[in-house]
Amino acid sequence: MRLFLGQRAWMLQRATAVVLLVFLAAAAAMLLVGPPLSYERWHELATSPHGAVLIVVLFAALALHGWIGIRDIVLDYIHSPAVRLPLLGLIALVLIAIVIRVALTMAAHFTTPG
Amino acid sequence: MRISIYRFNPETDAKPRMQDYDVTPEAGDKKLLDALMRLKTIDDSLSFRRSCREGVCGSDAMNINGRNGLACLTSLAGLKEPVVLRPLPGFPVIRELIVDMTQFFAHYHAIKPYLINDEQAPEHERLQTPEERDRLNGLYECILCACCSAFCPSYWWNPDKFIGPAGLLQAYRFISDSRDTATAERLAYLDDVYRLYRCRTIMNCTEVCPKGLSPSHAIERIRLALVRESS
Repeated sequence: MRLFLGQRAWMLQRATAVVLLVFLAAAAAMLLVGPPLSYERWHELATSPHGAVLIVVLFAALALHGWIGIRDIVLDYIHSPAVRLPLLGLIALVLIAIVIRVALTMAAHFTTPG
Repeated sequence: MRISIYRFNPETDAKPRMQDYDVTPEAGDKKLLDALMRLKTIDDSLSFRRSCREGVCGSDAMNINGRNGLACLTSLAGLKEPVVLRPLPGFPVIRELIVDMTQFFAHYHAIKPYLINDEQAPEHERLQTPEERDRLNGLYECILCACCSAFCPSYWWNPDKFIGPAGLLQAYRFISDSRDTATAERLAYLDDVYRLYRCRTIMNCTEVCPKGLSPSHAIERIRLALVRESS
């Protein structure tokens, strides 16, 4: 739990922000400089091993970053433990589910033939 | 000049109200506190704190036209009329412009605002280099008027758990003191999701400090000290 409290959480939020910023810059560069994006090109990117791993990393960073931000808002505004704890649990579950769903989708490309 | 003041006496009033006064500043009345003292001669039921009248004691902190400040440092010239005076926002009101600062000082005491040094005391004073002494500049000048904490939304949301900009500035004053040996304990106490990390770098504290100090800078330095401590 120490990872998600105090200084560690603050560091994690900044580290994931850097990851997201790099992705944002890379995506902007790809759109501006690279060839026009088509469905085929997206598909090719997402199904390449590097692309798939990067997409999972992107969503994991987004979920961690989002978790700390949303947790802070909940800690600020919702003071009743009876509401706060289930709400934090629900948010954590949704974020974890999103990352697992993305990871499974990406993995499916490499396990299913075709 | 017209001054609109928050009036509330819990013994007689069911709820607070704003009362307008017209006061004519006389020669020598330069600051808002002078006008308030003049008002007090018209209506002695008006309550506010004041002491040194020169920005050193921090007693007359209040919300002046929506912005926290010291009445004794606020010039009458340039104040938009009517001058709206309210108690420090977010603090429990005892009466009119007087607020309950118990919680504020509880946070101040919690950060141990005194030098801790268990080493053998030297025969004379503990010496500092000029550079070490310079590190205390911008920190030791805090007069604990609470203008910053009472202007901090994070403090409004969690006044019982977040130490607030004033307390954190004071905490950093001792963390950065070369003579203090309890830096690790001080940092360990602050490494908490509420005590330090409720700060969202809104920077209202720095914006409003009547002494021109920067609590948000001190908070940033504490965070960096914690990063160094953990690595």
